[in-house]
Amino acid sequence: MTGLAALLDEIVGDIDALLLFTRDASTFDLFSDEETTMIVVAKDNAVGADNFVRLPLEFTNVNGRIRFGLEGAIRQELVAEGDEVVCLTTSFEENRIDTVVRVRADQFTQTGIYDLFTNSRADADVVRDVFEVAIELGQKGQKGKPVGALFVVGDAGKVMNKSRPLSYNPFEKSHVHVGDPIVNVMLKEFSRLDGAFVISDGGKIVSAYRYLEPAAEGVDIPRGLGARHMAAGAITRDTNAITIVLSESDGMVRAFKGGELILELDPEEY
Amino acid sequence: MQPNWPDLIRSLFSQETAFTLAVAILIVGIVLSYLVWRWTHLLLERTGIKSAIEGTTFERTAQRFGTSTAGILGLLLAGFVYAGTLIVAFHIARLLNVELFWSRITGYLPRFFIAVLAIVIGLIVGEKAALVIQERLQSVKLPEASVIPKLVKYSIFYIAALIALAQVGVATTALLVLLAAYAFGVVFLGGLAFKDLLMASAAGIYLLLSEPYTIGDEVRIDEKRGIVQEVDVFVTRIESEDEEFVIPNQQVFRSGVVRIRD
Repeated sequence: MTGLAALLDEIVGDIDALLLFTRDASTFDLFSDEETTMIVVAKDNAVGADNFVRLPLEFTNVNGRIRFGLEGAIRQELVAEGDEVVCLTTSFEENRIDTVVRVRADQFTQTGIYDLFTNSRADADVVRDVFEVAIELGQKGQKGKPVGALFVVGDAGKVMNKSRPLSYNPFEKSHVHVGDPIVNVMLKEFSRLDGAFVISDGGKIVSAYRYLEPAAEGVDIPRGLGARHMAAGAITRDTNAITIVLSESDGMVRAFKGGELILELDPEEY
Repeated sequence: MQPNWPDLIRSLFSQETAFTLAVAILIVGIVLSYLVWRWTHLLLERTGIKSAIEGTTFERTAQRFGTSTAGILGLLLAGFVYAGTLIVAFHIARLLNVELFWSRITGYLPRFFIAVLAIVIGLIVGEKAALVIQERLQSVKLPEASVIPKLVKYSIFYIAALIALAQVGVATTALLVLLAAYAFGVVFLGGLAFKDLLMASAAGIYLLLSEPYTIGDEVRIDEKRGIVQEVDVFVTRIESEDEEFVIPNQQVFRSGVVRIRD
């Protein structure tokens, strides 16, 4: 076993920071005497750590989880670029650390996925709720058929002025917020309609059936994506909103901010 | 009415039958109290109370004595039922002829029972309420905020103790006055402190219900002109080219809104 132990020593040796993906207090206590900077990355700070990065989604994919944690740590200036970081996380079992990953902090190009949640105009909770609705819509579709949907989140006043109604707004004079239990059903029904959903900074669903009219020049989205994605990318360049799109053709959930594609998720993985 | 019962039974049946009846009542009492004990357990479990009170100090103390809150409540109810049947049985059998003593006990027993119940429920509810509020305030990173759950907890304890003391007949007038003063202070000072918020929310409810302007409209309120970004119960957010105004709703109401048509 000496070879194995030596390899492990090499992996965890001489590091600048430790990323611990756990909500379990006893696991956290194991490392509490550690001298290297320890950063807890989880959905909530259940262990009361000083250095904490909030995961907005339950990333099942280890790669995505580590990327998000690293980017969050860099943005919070807990980790400097070029630092050597060891991540302790779970790949298969829940609630038990079974994976050790050593990574350089600048290994990944920063995609802005952390900024998407924390530094958007809309509240992080609202962004997360919209993501969850989009993911659920992607998993189940409408009556078994795949649907597409476009959510414009934040900066709703400006978005409303850069779009026009396609028909009556079903959400007029209603006070529905994303995250309300009824919303998933409502959005599922309304996703049959064409046009975008507009959601305010605080999570109020302002309108459905909106036809977005941003200036589309200079928007660079990957080839092969259709009009919905083009509109989604363009509106984020014209306003401070972000957009979350569920593709009808390939079933992926994508997020745009500042005219750029930030995040791509497969709903089936959640 | 009650003292007539033994005589009535004796006039209908013989002395022996009365005694047998008393024994029968005792046995029924045992069965009944057992059933009550079972039912309390079941009821507490069904309604989810059992899992809700898990981890409270009272439950932990109870567990240290080898029982649980459900056990104590069940025992209490069962004991109450059993003591009741015991008294009825003794009464019918005329075993103890100290009528006055028994009649006082029968009057006292339910009150004592309610007093104990009030304390148990008060302890549990107080602690639960403190816990819930603490969870709610978790996102508020303010050390002073930790006072609020404690305040709520001890207020509930105080009221529970007051109910219990009043039930067993201790003079509670002074404590009641204290409670009244405290409640008055909370309501009056709270009202004073939250006056603006109350006004804002009253106006906000109107704004939300009738929606004179909505997100995306361009409006002017007190020379503040911009696009409405958000309307909630307390404030309206209006954004112009490079400024964002957060306007309390009562101000919107007081000075009126100019909607700008394009």
